[in-house]
Amino acid sequence: METVERLKSEFSSSLTSLPSTNANETLLLLSENEALKKLVKSISTEFDILFTLLVVDRPPEAFELNYVFSRYRDSALLTIRVNLNHDKPVIDSIAKILPSAEWEEREAYDLFGIKFRGHPDLRRILLQDDWPGRPLRKDFVVTDEIRNWTGLDLKF
Amino acid sequence: MIYDFFYNWFNGFLSPLLSFILGWVAVFIIGVLITLNIPIILGWVDRKLSARIQSRYGPTYNGPFGLLQNIADVIKLMGKRFITNRNVDTLVLNIVPVALSLLAFIMVFIIPWGNPNLILVSVPFNLLFIYIAMALSPLFVLLAGWSQNNKYAMLGGFRGAAQITTYELSLLLIFVGVGMLSGSYNITTIVNAQSHIWYIMYLPIMFIVFLLSSLAITERAPFDLPEATQELQAGWKIEYPGIRYGLFFIAEYVRLAIAAMLLVYLFFGGWNGPVLPDYIWFWAKTAVVTFVLMSLRWVFNRPRMDQLIKIGFNWLLPLSVINLLIVGAVLFY
Amino acid sequence: MKDSTQNKITINIGPVHPSTHGVLRFIVDISEDTIVKVDPEIGYVHRGVEKMAEMKNYNSFMPVADKLDYIAALNWEVLYADVIEKALNVSITPRTVYIRTIMCEIQRIMSHLLFLAHVGEDLGNTTLFMWGFRERELLMDVVEEVSGGRLAPMYMSIGGVYYDLTLSFGRRLLEVLDTIEHKVKNEYKAISYQNDAFRLRTVGVGVMSKEFGISHGLTGPNIRASGVKRDLRKDSPYLAYDKVDFEVITENDGDAYARFMVRINEILESIKILRQAIKEIPSGETKVKVPWFFKIPPKYTFVRHETPRGEAAMYLVTNGDLKPYRLKIRAPSFYAIQAIKDLLVGNKVADLVTILGSLDPVPGEIDR
Repeated sequence: METVERLKSEFSSSLTSLPSTNANETLLLLSENEALKKLVKSISTEFDILFTLLVVDRPPEAFELNYVFSRYRDSALLTIRVNLNHDKPVIDSIAKILPSAEWEEREAYDLFGIKFRGHPDLRRILLQDDWPGRPLRKDFVVTDEIRNWTGLDLKF
Repeated sequence: MIYDFFYNWFNGFLSPLLSFILGWVAVFIIGVLITLNIPIILGWVDRKLSARIQSRYGPTYNGPFGLLQNIADVIKLMGKRFITNRNVDTLVLNIVPVALSLLAFIMVFIIPWGNPNLILVSVPFNLLFIYIAMALSPLFVLLAGWSQNNKYAMLGGFRGAAQITTYELSLLLIFVGVGMLSGSYNITTIVNAQSHIWYIMYLPIMFIVFLLSSLAITERAPFDLPEATQELQAGWKIEYPGIRYGLFFIAEYVRLAIAAMLLVYLFFGGWNGPVLPDYIWFWAKTAVVTFVLMSLRWVFNRPRMDQLIKIGFNWLLPLSVINLLIVGAVLFY
Repeated sequence: MKDSTQNKITINIGPVHPSTHGVLRFIVDISEDTIVKVDPEIGYVHRGVEKMAEMKNYNSFMPVADKLDYIAALNWEVLYADVIEKALNVSITPRTVYIRTIMCEIQRIMSHLLFLAHVGEDLGNTTLFMWGFRERELLMDVVEEVSGGRLAPMYMSIGGVYYDLTLSFGRRLLEVLDTIEHKVKNEYKAISYQNDAFRLRTVGVGVMSKEFGISHGLTGPNIRASGVKRDLRKDSPYLAYDKVDFEVITENDGDAYARFMVRINEILESIKILRQAIKEIPSGETKVKVPWFFKIPPKYTFVRHETPRGEAAMYLVTNGDLKPYRLKIRAPSFYAIQAIKDLLVGNKVADLVTILGSLDPVPGEIDR
């Protein structure tokens, strides 16, 4: 794809192509986290929708963020993979560029605790504000305390 | 004049004061019975009609054809706990259902029931009295909305007051038009003046306006915006459980019946008709009109508040005024 | 809660409200009956489906996938079965492909009928509500005949379907489709899309421009109502959609009425697909042997399907274990509700229910 060629020339040092197992998908690994915002800005005219944001927790090394971009005119997919430091998962928010990313980022913050710099409204979305822990992390253990958690001072 | 009948009957063997009291008591009992029976009968018709339109069965269990379903409902409502929220204006909250059903009760008293003599209490200008009983209701709707200390109720109260006030203006103009044609605000005189030609021939536009306005002031769907379930949960009725809600229910159906009867009296010649006795004519016409008023509910969806007010002020009111001017001009020449 | 300077009232709609299609909550600031700010709150039916997936075997997750979107359960079952089969490199038999296509389209009609019913209910027209359920019931019975279930049929298994179609299925389905086509074209027309009162409430309400829809990631009938010709059944055909002939329905106005019309026409289009599929369905096996417990080697598998609410996707990450390492679920309604917070501003409170209803969200798949 010409977009990929253009991106590779633009972000030559930090962008590497990975083999993808899915049809129509182009998988790119971005090694420089700071460049994400610039990259998304440069592809946002081409790939106009953040289809989904897949976060995979790979302890102890990294959080793996897969930004799956798609476009309306055909079924092409572009996945940008970013690895975050597991101890300090912080990355720039792209919600200002693509509004469809806003709640996906809130969800990643809610379930994984990844912080998005410059997000307009970074609150928990699916869980209550005082839920203990980040449930989709691999070190989250479902205990009886979690199972019976109500958020209220109730004793059953 | 049922009151006069009772008074004269009692006066045959009792003192005038005692027969005055007993006459009123008898009339009250009859009035209460009529008022309570209207929602039970109309409610059943409404349920069965809606069920037929929507491919359902409607009530079937209580009594033959589910006829006793509404009686069961009233008993259930009476058995409910009398819950009053904290931080509400208790006095106003409790006055409103009583006042609204009392207004319906007054209308039952002063409207003829299919014959000039079948009237509980004879009042000279009973059309105007009925109008007043209808026109007082926005006040109580507003009070109910305000007293409950609830945002939904308040919005519903505002909506109800705005809606009823809007549509009562055109209603008043219709009454004026009919009054001009017949020369009286007495329903008996109006009906007698239609013995040759029904007023729907003179006032076709006003008939449509009256149909819409009567739906709007009875707050029945599609004009049930003040209590729109999908938007305001139950609007100004939100904090009224139990029999207080039942009183609203009674008032709504009584007002529907009164509106249907007024339509027949003002536009379809009341009890005038050949061959058959007059009350049969009247009830047949009323049944048809009620049927139409009820089925509108199941065919149309509800308009938005601004659209409703716009229809009222931009269309119905000018049309009523134009029709009134035409009537005036025709009468003048 | 009155702001004296701006005359603002904050009202709370939901989570228990007659017209929130489940348990959604909106904190709405209104000023003179006009909405100035909306804050949608979701998560009231959050069941931790993605966490559950990591704790269950591949086969045990099927009943959960079934209950993600309880209005269109079969579509999600097909999607989950598809993603596991892709990861396992299992190819299903031609008859299964057609059975799945038929089931997906039946479910699409059922879902759209429920949508029509709910829009009617939101606008205060209970007749449309009852009628929608009446026709949906006919299809429910058809699904029940095949699978034994109604709302959550549990019909798809990994590698095929649990039961073959019954002998009377085709004949019965065609009869039901004739009924539904007749009702949609005549009775529904009178009470909804040709009814002036209905048009008064929906035409020009909640207008969503093409750019707005695209930037907020809306898919499915919602974006097709804004004039974007995008349908995964056509664009990247899966199942038997490349073998049947159908049109992608679009409307240009992008208002609530257009979204309603797209669904009405999609019902008719789905009926067309079903008639062809019933005619062309091949005979043969309906199952491929897949063991109950199996391991999938480490890989990323991404599958997306067109569900009645838009493009649903599952991204499966495996690590060679008996259980998924991570299963990300993309729910189309999630994006619709995200867009509603900008779409509602400037509208009347009464239009909130119209616009919300016309976007057809299902909290089950929003909250997961």
